[in-house]
Amino acid sequence: MNWHLNAELLDRLAADYTLGTMHGGARRRFEAAMRAHLSVAQAAARWDSRLAPLGEQLPPLPAGDALWSRIEQRTFGTGASSSAASAAPVLRWWQRWLAPVPAGALAFGLMLGVATPLVWQTQQADTYDTQLPESYVGVLATAQGQQGLIVSSLRHGKTVDLKIIKAVPVASGSVLYLWSLDAKGQPQRVSPLPALTGGFVSLTLPGSSNDVFARAVELAVTMEPAGAEPREPTLPYVYRGLCGKLWRVPPAPR
Amino acid sequence: MTDDPTLHALLARVALQDRVALHDLYKAAAGRLLAVAHRILNDRGAAEDVLQDTFITVWTRAGQFPALRTSPMAWLTSIARNRAIDVLRKRKPETPLVWQDAEGEEHQHDVQDESGSPLDQLLARQSDGRLGACLEQIDTEPRTALKLAYFEGLTHEQLALRIQRPLGTVKAWVRRSLMRLKDCMGEPA
Repeated sequence: MNWHLNAELLDRLAADYTLGTMHGGARRRFEAAMRAHLSVAQAAARWDSRLAPLGEQLPPLPAGDALWSRIEQRTFGTGASSSAASAAPVLRWWQRWLAPVPAGALAFGLMLGVATPLVWQTQQADTYDTQLPESYVGVLATAQGQQGLIVSSLRHGKTVDLKIIKAVPVASGSVLYLWSLDAKGQPQRVSPLPALTGGFVSLTLPGSSNDVFARAVELAVTMEPAGAEPREPTLPYVYRGLCGKLWRVPPAPR
Repeated sequence: MTDDPTLHALLARVALQDRVALHDLYKAAAGRLLAVAHRILNDRGAAEDVLQDTFITVWTRAGQFPALRTSPMAWLTSIARNRAIDVLRKRKPETPLVWQDAEGEEHQHDVQDESGSPLDQLLARQSDGRLGACLEQIDTEPRTALKLAYFEGLTHEQLALRIQRPLGTVKAWVRRSLMRLKDCMGEPA
């Protein structure tokens, strides 16, 4: 039963879970549902917000350096020390943008984004023209590093096709937003996306794909408030990956 | 108390795997989270273990925080509380009605004994806040049940034992009290 789609029932269960009266198998099942459905986690979070002032009124207990050292040891391993200046990562531009996405996502995006055109070019090395029409192809991973989304468009077309491999839950009142990232990692707004339901959805661009994606090195997707026209992403990317350009560039004249 | 924007900024940095930010977050919030865990477990060592688990969870899941649209302290508290509740429920017996403290003095749970207790003192400190005002609108016994569930992580069955009322009555109290709180407080900002 999709109980999480019943708002009233979801709210009651979230209240029981958050207060702590839910127990046993019901508690474990609710926690599994929180991991699977953002709406369930958000319902519990609303109750957390209501009840949190109770916990905040408890007089704090001293939590000293020794306890922090144990946390540090368990989190970062032997020899870890956040007090060392070197522990503070100096985030490069690409790290700042990519950091919310685990390394696996980067590896996946790099592998497919680079390998796809390379393999293609290897296969077609003895010809000048390509079998596929000239296209932009983005292979995007989820924040968990799983295969997420394939974005494609004819180079001079106006339609973007999206193949959903791994859907991400979208909060009520939010939409997914497509961004184009240039070589400096600067995001350019492309368009809100239609609901990613079913295997494929399409999007019509205001201009040609070449105008929109010419400088794209990567494509990414964020969750933004519905109706908003953000100038830059307001939340971490939920999908991100390299944008391949499937056409051959003529060699420079000698 | 550390304000929300500061904690928001720290969590954003933790999501970027900034170790210094995690340490700063620890300095800002650990005392309060330790108090929450200790209130449920009544055991300093176990509460410290919960705090360790809490910060490891924060390190790995900080990137998920924005999507929940809750306050930083509410999110951190929920992680610590739920971990403490998990630890509590692995203990046996789960709800002693009579127990001895470290000095050998015997204590007995009784609903009447809750008046003037630390719980009531906590509630008194809440009186200026919105939650406190809303709690004041709830009758004494249901309010006590609600506070015991929150601060001690008791299930309905444990609450019924503790306050010596029928299980059905306790469930109805908790249900109605939560809904009255929701109506009174509205949706979180």
